[in-house]
Amino acid sequence: MLTLLVKLFQALNSESSTRQISLAISLGLIVGLSPSLVLHNLIILFVVFMIRVNLGAFILAVGVFKGLSVLSSSFVLFIGESLLNSSALYGVFDSLYQLSFFKLAHWHHTYTLGALVLGTLLSLPVYFLSKYLIEEYRIHIKSFIEQFAIVKALKASKFYRLYLSMSDQGGIS
Amino acid sequence: MTRFIRWQGIIGFLSVIIFLAAFVFIFAGSFIKAGLEKSGEWYLGAEVNVEEVEVNLFPLSLTIIGFQATDSEKPTHNMVSFSKAAVSLDVWQYLLGKIYIDDLAITQLEMDKKRKSPGDVYFTSDSKKSGEVKDATNGFTSIDTSLPSIDSLLKNANLETVKQAKRLQESYKAEQAKLAGIQASLPSKEKLADYKKQVKSLTETKVKSIADVDKVTKAFTELKDKFNADKEIISRAKTQLLQSKDLLNAQIQQLKNAPQEDWLAIEKKYQLQSVNTGDFAHIFFGEQAREYLGYVEKAYQKLSPLLTGKSATSKTVQTRKNGEFVYFSEQSPQPSVLIKKAHISLILTQGDIVIEGQALTHQHWKGEQLSVVKMYSSNLQGQGEFTFDMTFSLDKQQTLKSDGKWQLANLSVADIAIQKSSALSLSLNQAVVSAKGTFNLLADQVVSKNDIAINKADFNGEASSSLSSMLLETITSMDNLSLNVNAKGKITSPELTVSSSLDKQLKNVLQKQLSEKLSNFKGEINAGLNKKLASALGDGESKDKAFIDLESLISTVDGSLTDLLNSDVTQGHKNQLKDKLKKKLGNLFGG
Repeated sequence: MLTLLVKLFQALNSESSTRQISLAISLGLIVGLSPSLVLHNLIILFVVFMIRVNLGAFILAVGVFKGLSVLSSSFVLFIGESLLNSSALYGVFDSLYQLSFFKLAHWHHTYTLGALVLGTLLSLPVYFLSKYLIEEYRIHIKSFIEQFAIVKALKASKFYRLYLSMSDQGGIS
Repeated sequence: MTRFIRWQGIIGFLSVIIFLAAFVFIFAGSFIKAGLEKSGEWYLGAEVNVEEVEVNLFPLSLTIIGFQATDSEKPTHNMVSFSKAAVSLDVWQYLLGKIYIDDLAITQLEMDKKRKSPGDVYFTSDSKKSGEVKDATNGFTSIDTSLPSIDSLLKNANLETVKQAKRLQESYKAEQAKLAGIQASLPSKEKLADYKKQVKSLTETKVKSIADVDKVTKAFTELKDKFNADKEIISRAKTQLLQSKDLLNAQIQQLKNAPQEDWLAIEKKYQLQSVNTGDFAHIFFGEQAREYLGYVEKAYQKLSPLLTGKSATSKTVQTRKNGEFVYFSEQSPQPSVLIKKAHISLILTQGDIVIEGQALTHQHWKGEQLSVVKMYSSNLQGQGEFTFDMTFSLDKQQTLKSDGKWQLANLSVADIAIQKSSALSLSLNQAVVSAKGTFNLLADQVVSKNDIAINKADFNGEASSSLSSMLLETITSMDNLSLNVNAKGKITSPELTVSSSLDKQLKNVLQKQLSEKLSNFKGEINAGLNKKLASALGDGESKDKAFIDLESLISTVDGSLTDLLNSDVTQGHKNQLKDKLKKKLGNLFGG
């Protein structure tokens, strides 16, 4: 956990693009909300590895949103059940159900579909919100926080030394 | 392009996938073992142990070794245990969200086997239905004591006569309280006397002028308002009295009908109608048949919720919490769970039984294929051969439909206690039993016909009354005996009929004696019930008198008030004035 936090701070304070970190967080949201072993998570994992997004932020986001998914599970189920049992959408899902990919992805499972839909819908606002917050952090908060005595004390701590050592090694971007 | 894509990421991705696959391969067995133990304990309420679980990925198969599920009602024994279960799974269907088991093989499946050490119990089932089944047959333990005790029957608080009598007494109390309130509000004798006095006083008032008459009229009108108010009270009292009488009359009628209803219920419960026709086989073998039927019912109670998905509510909640698959139209619809082939070797103390299943599922309407279960054994009690064939299906409404047949041949039986009572003890020392039967099950309604042949029979017993001695003598002289055991109705409480060649032989000898006995029994029961009825109605008679008295009182008060209302107080005065006027006019005109 300590290492993951270090990675996050490292990413926030590094020269990584805010878009790379924000995209990692929003993709982490979709994976975090969904059940672990589903096809769309593997595809997202592939995308995360293949395009230049911040892996540390992605892993941390998955962890955080996986924790939050416990709270949102009943809402996720509600979305999935409403969509799959909707008579208006029956034709659409019936057509999609004929595709093996649809069934392979378990999108006919109420929780999986609900998580994917909720994750996808929230990913865009989360992307822009996290992008804005990171930019604000870098411009204002970072220098502001550094003035506090507690931060100065932290800088003298083991945590900061670990952070520095990882920064020196280049870390994971 | 390289600004966005990092090709080395493919190595990272593959590494993660390989790591995940290796993780699953190494730890899947442990996870499944823990899952089986936890979910088994959650479902059964007692300790579940699994020695080892092996997972093979190509082809995907699972082997469970050393499974033991503690019996929550007898923790020293396992409810079920097996040495090995091998399951081979259709991977493609599993990835598509369906569970297709190509082959399920369970070896050395055993029930009620003693555990090495007692298992932990987390919760016990409160169902004691098997006991209830046995209790209901206790009335047939012997001919002399086959009829249940009259005292215990009459003491039963569930008797309709007792319930109706209690209800009537409560109603009497409630209605009396209502009427007492109304009686208190009725005008008293003193009040009526006062009214009469006032009317009389008005009638006898001396009037001299029209103004005096008006005064009397006004006073009488005020008095009439009081009479009307009292009449209103009387009217309400009449209505209440009528309602109370109607209610109590209806309940008295129900109480009068109750002994007949009770007798019918007793007749039905102890199947006395069949006894009345000389159904001796039922008396002798009904208890045994019920005991065997109890096992079938127990199995149905355990299996039915699993098949129809109507198990514990918590399970439904669990499914809801984890989500569920929703299936749409398919070109060739297939169930979501299907065991294509199953082979189970069951070890019982009576012998080994092989159970084979085909197309086992809970969604037959999708595949249009019936599930088939076959059982066979060739070493039941030594040389006994047993076969059992059953098909079952569930429709969309989860209604279970099942047909089947069974056959038993050359089954050696020994030392079976048939009757054990003070009047008659009868046991079957040894015999060879052959039997066959069929059954149909639709929802919870069963129809089953079974023929049992007991050959080379050697009966033994003791009798302490002339009636039972005659029975014993007749039975022990028989070598062969055939029985027809039929069950019909709800599977949890079917109507059981047992007939036999024994009936004909015993009927002529004993019908007279038994008829007399039954007649006496019926007489005593009805006398007891009628005594209860008379006691309840006797109480009512004294209360009826109170009702009649009240009715008479209301009627008297009502009559008095009507008379007072109809009193012509002013007519006398008017006549007086008329006479006076005539006199004066006569004097004036020289009359």
